[in-house]
Amino acid sequence: MIKSPLTEVNNYLIKQLPTATAFLNTKLEVVYASDTWIDYFNFGNRNVFGKKILDLFEKTTRNWEKTLKDCLKGKNRGPGMEHYVDSEKKDRWFEWTNIPWYDENENVIGVIIQTKDITRKVSNELEFEKLQILHDKKSEIAKIGSWNFDLASQKLSWCKMTKKIHEVPLDFVPDIETGINFYKQGHSRNTISLAVERAMSQGAPWNEKLQIVTAKGNEKWVIAAGKPLFKNNELVGILGTFQDIDDQVQAEMKIRESERLLRTLIDNLPLNVFIKDRDSKKILVNKAECDFLGVKHPKQVLGKDDFDLYPKKTAQESRNEDIKVMNSLKPVLGKETICEKKDGQITTFLTSKIPLVGNDGIANGLIGISLDISNIKQKEEELRDLIDVTALQNKKLVNFAHIVSHNLRSHSANFSMLLDFLVNEKCGKEKENLINMLVEASDNLLDTLENLNEVVAINTNTNLNKKPVVLNDMVKKVTKNLNAFLLNNNAKIVNTISDDMRINVVPAYLESILMNFITNSVKYKEPTRNPIIRLHATKNEGQTLLEISDNGLGIDMKKYGDKLFGMYKTFHEHKDARGIGLYITKNQIEAMNGKVMVCSEVGKGSIFKIYFNERN
Amino acid sequence: MREINSIYIIDDDPITVFGIKKMLGSVVHGGVVHSFANGKLAIDAIRDTTSKNAEIPEVIFLDINMPIMDGWQFLEEFIQLSLPQKVRINIITSSIDSADIEKWEHYRLRSKHVITFNNKPIKKEKIDRITKVA
Repeated sequence: MIKSPLTEVNNYLIKQLPTATAFLNTKLEVVYASDTWIDYFNFGNRNVFGKKILDLFEKTTRNWEKTLKDCLKGKNRGPGMEHYVDSEKKDRWFEWTNIPWYDENENVIGVIIQTKDITRKVSNELEFEKLQILHDKKSEIAKIGSWNFDLASQKLSWCKMTKKIHEVPLDFVPDIETGINFYKQGHSRNTISLAVERAMSQGAPWNEKLQIVTAKGNEKWVIAAGKPLFKNNELVGILGTFQDIDDQVQAEMKIRESERLLRTLIDNLPLNVFIKDRDSKKILVNKAECDFLGVKHPKQVLGKDDFDLYPKKTAQESRNEDIKVMNSLKPVLGKETICEKKDGQITTFLTSKIPLVGNDGIANGLIGISLDISNIKQKEEELRDLIDVTALQNKKLVNFAHIVSHNLRSHSANFSMLLDFLVNEKCGKEKENLINMLVEASDNLLDTLENLNEVVAINTNTNLNKKPVVLNDMVKKVTKNLNAFLLNNNAKIVNTISDDMRINVVPAYLESILMNFITNSVKYKEPTRNPIIRLHATKNEGQTLLEISDNGLGIDMKKYGDKLFGMYKTFHEHKDARGIGLYITKNQIEAMNGKVMVCSEVGKGSIFKIYFNERN
Repeated sequence: MREINSIYIIDDDPITVFGIKKMLGSVVHGGVVHSFANGKLAIDAIRDTTSKNAEIPEVIFLDINMPIMDGWQFLEEFIQLSLPQKVRINIITSSIDSADIEKWEHYRLRSKHVITFNNKPIKKEKIDRITKVA
């Protein structure tokens, strides 16, 4: 039995134990307890002594009771862990050490319980576990592995992810040499060797984008980073990360490749391609567009808008169109547009503008594609001109054919009729009369043939003999030749043509034209007044306009306008009217690529406008 | 031989006028044949005649290509005259232009008068056939 003084002493000593300790008797009642133990469990003033331990704790495991009972039998069960919720409802963890309490005779007289609060340890462990999981997950998602090289043991260890990236089994044991040999021969292996060497010798960290060849022979892009570890300024090892960036690199390379493809494509398209932002500023231009704008590098036009590049009017039209396309989201396709540059150069384009629609359904720019069709346009125009000329010539030809056929037919009809009469005529006098008529018909036919011949000659000689002529020289020559005729008719010529006016013509035609118009003006004078003929000439864009106006009879344009220049058309009762002059004149003008127009009013006079074309 | 009171020949070619006149001599008898060198002279004569209530021609031989006023212009003015009787107009031309045939159709259908289209040369038999009161 324990003696009382001893108990006191024991009690006092135990009370002061720094470790929370309780002594239980064989009935598992608390005999002694350190203050720390009482504090631990917040027993405070509550008398714990003599109480059964299992009654002091509300929630305990059956396991503990068994452990305690085992202790009483002399069995040492080692430490156990207990969880309980304290008065503040906090999770707490304890480590219990239950050991048998022996007396001097090695008899078990109770149980000694030592308690350690391991709440922090446990929560740290949990936290660590969480961090570990998080870290594993992160490394799995980011494909970042780690490794560690211990200098002392020369041991290199790889984490799971690092092994996975290298495509080696999890039990693979790397060393520094095998590690380096995974890097692709050449740049990658050289770089890593140098980096490791520098880390060892100078303590320099590294971070490199390199290629490895995995155990399965696959090439992969990785970011390998290493950081030397020091302890007391001594290198103890290297810690590093190892990231698989193959997917990113492959994707990047693919993007770069498709960008290059796209760039090559748009630069070599025979089309002007550009992309504009919402403010119509250029954010992409291809080579053709650069060439068109006369710049060497896209940089020179990027960020500029049409107002920087084109005259205001062109720019505003383009901007309006851009806004329309971006607001309506409806593309403009293959629209013929005329683009004037600041230097005045005009280009015809087939332009398409396609809105660039963002995820929000709003256009944040547009793609423009322009095809320069200036050449085609010009060809088209030339072709149209050619068609016009051909059509005109064809018309003239048909017209001429009709004239020929009509004239020859009328003569031959007369011959046929007269000969028919002659064959059946018995009267000698009448026969003679018919023969005279036949002679007359024959003369008429010859005249007609001569006229037709003249027309044919004009139309076949065309431009071969065009040369510059001083217009006034020719006017003087003609008026000199007509001097007597003009004097007889009291005609006056008012010439306002400047002496340096030169025109490119067939001289003989010009002479004939002047002769004809001047003669006509006098011939068809208004009987009550003296004829005045005004000559005036102006030059405009490769064309010379000669105006010959008179104060003569004038012509009823409504009635005769379409026939004025026809063959054998006469409009005035004049003994000399043959109906051939104006026809020939018109042919001569047209043969020189010119044209003639007329304004006239009956009783007032006529103005003939003759356009001479300088080109051939 | 039939009787026709008044015949007009409108043609600027004296040989044709001579020929038609000569052939008419053996087809009709009596009556008067007038010739005009263009449409203007003829239409003026017709207007003059109607104003005097004198006899207007029963048959007209009409050329197309003439100065001052051609055959078509003459027809245009003629069909607008309000004449009580039908007149026979024989177009005599050397033209085989389809445009002229179309014009003839145009006037023929627009007019109550008898209008025929005849190509030169004209034979006596033809003159015989087309020289009658409409």
